[in-house]
Amino acid sequence: MVKNLNPGKQGLSIIIVGCGKVGVTLIEQLSNEGHDITIIDKDAAKIQSLTNLYDIMGIVGNGASYSVQMEAGIENTDLIIAVTDSDELNLLCCTVAKRVGNCAAIARVRTPDYSKEVGYLQEKLGLSLIINPELEAAKEAARILYLPTALEVNSFAHGQAELIKFKIPEGNLLDGITLANLGQIITTEVVVCAIERDGEVYIPSGDFKMAKGDIISFVASRKVVKSFLETLKFKTKRVRNTMIIGGGKVAYYLAHQLLNMGIAVKIIEIDRARCEELSILLPKAVIINGDGTDEELLKEEGIENAESFVPLTGIDEENILLTLHARQVSSAKVITKINRINFKNVISKLDLGSVVYPRYITSEAIIAYVRAKKDSMNSNIETLYHMFDHRVEAIEFLVEKDSAVTGIPLKDLALKKDLIISFINRNGRILIPRGQDCIKAGDTVMIVTTHTGFNDIQDILK
Amino acid sequence: MNTSIIRYVLGNVLKVEGILLLIPALIAIIYQENIIVFYLASALLCLLFGILMTLRKPKTTIFYLKEGCMTTALSWILLSFFGCLPFWCSGEIPVFTDALFETISGFTTTGASILNDVEALSKTSLFWRSFTHWIGGMGVLVFLLAIIPLSGGSNINLMRAESPGPSVGKLVPKMRYTARILYLIYFGMTLLENILLIIGGMPVFEAVCTSFGTAGTGGFGVLNSSIAGYAPHLQWIVTIFMILFGVNFNAYYLILFRKFKKAFTMSEVRVYLLIMFTAIAIVFFDILEMSTGIFDALTKSSFQVASIMTTTGFATTDFSLWPQTSKVVLVLLMFIGGCAGSTSGGIKVSRFVIVCKTIVKELNSYIHPKSIKKIQMDGKPIEHDVIRSINVYFITFVLLFSFSILLVSLEGKDLVTSFTAVAATINNVGPGLELVGPTQNFSPLSPFSKWVLMFDMLAGRLELFPLLILFHPALWKELFTKKLGSRKVEIHD
Repeated sequence: MVKNLNPGKQGLSIIIVGCGKVGVTLIEQLSNEGHDITIIDKDAAKIQSLTNLYDIMGIVGNGASYSVQMEAGIENTDLIIAVTDSDELNLLCCTVAKRVGNCAAIARVRTPDYSKEVGYLQEKLGLSLIINPELEAAKEAARILYLPTALEVNSFAHGQAELIKFKIPEGNLLDGITLANLGQIITTEVVVCAIERDGEVYIPSGDFKMAKGDIISFVASRKVVKSFLETLKFKTKRVRNTMIIGGGKVAYYLAHQLLNMGIAVKIIEIDRARCEELSILLPKAVIINGDGTDEELLKEEGIENAESFVPLTGIDEENILLTLHARQVSSAKVITKINRINFKNVISKLDLGSVVYPRYITSEAIIAYVRAKKDSMNSNIETLYHMFDHRVEAIEFLVEKDSAVTGIPLKDLALKKDLIISFINRNGRILIPRGQDCIKAGDTVMIVTTHTGFNDIQDILK
Repeated sequence: MNTSIIRYVLGNVLKVEGILLLIPALIAIIYQENIIVFYLASALLCLLFGILMTLRKPKTTIFYLKEGCMTTALSWILLSFFGCLPFWCSGEIPVFTDALFETISGFTTTGASILNDVEALSKTSLFWRSFTHWIGGMGVLVFLLAIIPLSGGSNINLMRAESPGPSVGKLVPKMRYTARILYLIYFGMTLLENILLIIGGMPVFEAVCTSFGTAGTGGFGVLNSSIAGYAPHLQWIVTIFMILFGVNFNAYYLILFRKFKKAFTMSEVRVYLLIMFTAIAIVFFDILEMSTGIFDALTKSSFQVASIMTTTGFATTDFSLWPQTSKVVLVLLMFIGGCAGSTSGGIKVSRFVIVCKTIVKELNSYIHPKSIKKIQMDGKPIEHDVIRSINVYFITFVLLFSFSILLVSLEGKDLVTSFTAVAATINNVGPGLELVGPTQNFSPLSPFSKWVLMFDMLAGRLELFPLLILFHPALWKELFTKKLGSRKVEIHD
């Protein structure tokens, strides 16, 4: 009877343990999507202010303790997400929760010590997902360094397709032509999914005219991306060396990947002990012990000639200043990591170029999981990215069964406005869809839209 | 200050009141009373204003504590004003001050009346009078939260301002379902009492009104003799339900979800029952001599103690004639009141529990000056902020109380009358002693005193601060200063 009190209940019951940066991002987004959220944190003041701000319930205590979890109602919970500072606590939270309640569990584990054992841990502890924001941020940064023209590179369909964001420079081929022309003149193998102009985001139609200064997101299969950018006279060579400021976890993961790709890495870290650790972990990298915010040191280490520059200190303001400095003194490709600060409008006005937000990367992965769990009738969310400050969602659906969208030519589907079907992945082949193509069961379909909260492929219909 | 959200919520409150006013109109149809015209007109007026105020949706639905308090206070004032229109316009209560007093007394679940002859009222008005208790008991904003979706989580600030108790929490993560569960428990228990009373032989109309009065811990009766005229078994039903409605509703929620152990170990509920039974015992032995037998004494003492402690205010006997000890016990009980999170008034048991613990802590600190001890309740530490706000609450209560007595005494009534008149209204009890005793009413007081008492009733129901904040000049300044246009910051690069 009591369950019936929630007649319109569509959301899941979710417990979030730990209200740090990622925790708050998750609370904000998941409560907006209508889930029942209970938060657990040791800090009573934090709980108080969050429960004032969002429609959620808060409990003060240690999230790994049995009695605290019982109080939070673990028995009737669908999902527990542990994102406290400590990896061990997160794993313990999930392990206890799995024993007590019958719920799915997601833990954040980010220490490099465990990073190689993630698969093992996940399987043995029965977790649904282990997320490592630092590793994901490093991967994103590495993708951008691989294609330095792009502001942002996201991969779909297990790396078969890529979503690339770049800014149209003055005098470019694209300046002044419409999307329809693009197909006729250059190639039909790419789909422009979203365009940002003067702070507004558009899902463009065929008669949209591009202009210099627009920020364009397009999707293409991996092979096409390079040739397309080359036709536009962009450099597509990856960088050959990189300078990283700050030797934290992201720096380690990034350096590790870049070295594997054959890119020379130089890390400047202020703490001597950490430098020694890094030199053991990354024997091929050049480790400099010094203050990365010291202008003279940067000069000495050759910031002017560096091909790429990645400030990864723990302080966002420092990262931003370093980025602005680097853009003045060198022509290096710069990627800024922003962890904490919220002044998104100010940041986007600063024209920092590529920005990586580790906490959003984490929450995107979790939200994709939650949406997929909530409603997996005919389809499943494979990947989800937020673009343009959360105004646009790019979602890849796996279409499992036949439904209202399958078997009908796309031109005959009554699609919602502000929505684009950017590719269909059929048996590992990327199809750029045309009007007569149909979606079939077994495909994965990627859509880009300014609507939010899609759970199922059928949500694309009016 | 987000004025548009305040306007929007107030508009919705009026819409709800408009719909609620149609229910007495139905009663008027059943009893074929002409007074229906006034109820329909008031309902239309409410709906009209309500619709006008909610035409434009607010851009942001963010609620901060100040907006929450202000909305709550203003909506109770509006509610009372529109609620008194049928009484006043129909001429059943010809003086506006009296009509408003009666309505505020209803909504705040006080039950203090200015009517000399209750039975002269039409059935429709009697129903509306009791119905206001029921609406006011759980709170109209809580009701609003249950039915209209106000997006944004900050609307807990609305509930916090309206619900009684030192710290307001939710039962389930979503505000809306918390409000629904509360109303479901409330409605279920009212219905149960109603059915039991009807089975016990009370006429249906009287049973409905009595259960409204009990549920809201209000105390308006439909007979001049209040509950005295009914058979003892009916009085016992009312006694038990009064006690039940004075319990923290969280306990019922826990029972509903089969967490019996937790429900029965809630320290506030235990202390509440302990005080209740001790008081019954004292009064029982005190009035044993003047009663017609042990059963009669027990019935009367338990009914009266339950009625006063839960701040209901029904009467089965004129306790003004009781021995001094019993009267003192009753007056003290008025101040204690029921549990936090119930429908009753008073200062609330949980505040007293915490204050007593603070006193013990203070005494301990004289013996071990450097000792550190956190005050706990139900195994949870009480934050310093909560203790501070309770202390301030007590002081404010005492000051407001004393000042009100001074104002009421201006008309020259005796001390017991002035004292208990204020005590009975600020604690939302209803009857006091002497001139405002259970067989008397508040009509002999001057209009000025009535306005003071009306303020006290609202202050008591809203737990002082949401009402007092209306007098903070900064709030009004903010309300009337024009908002600066959202300036765009341009950064040149």
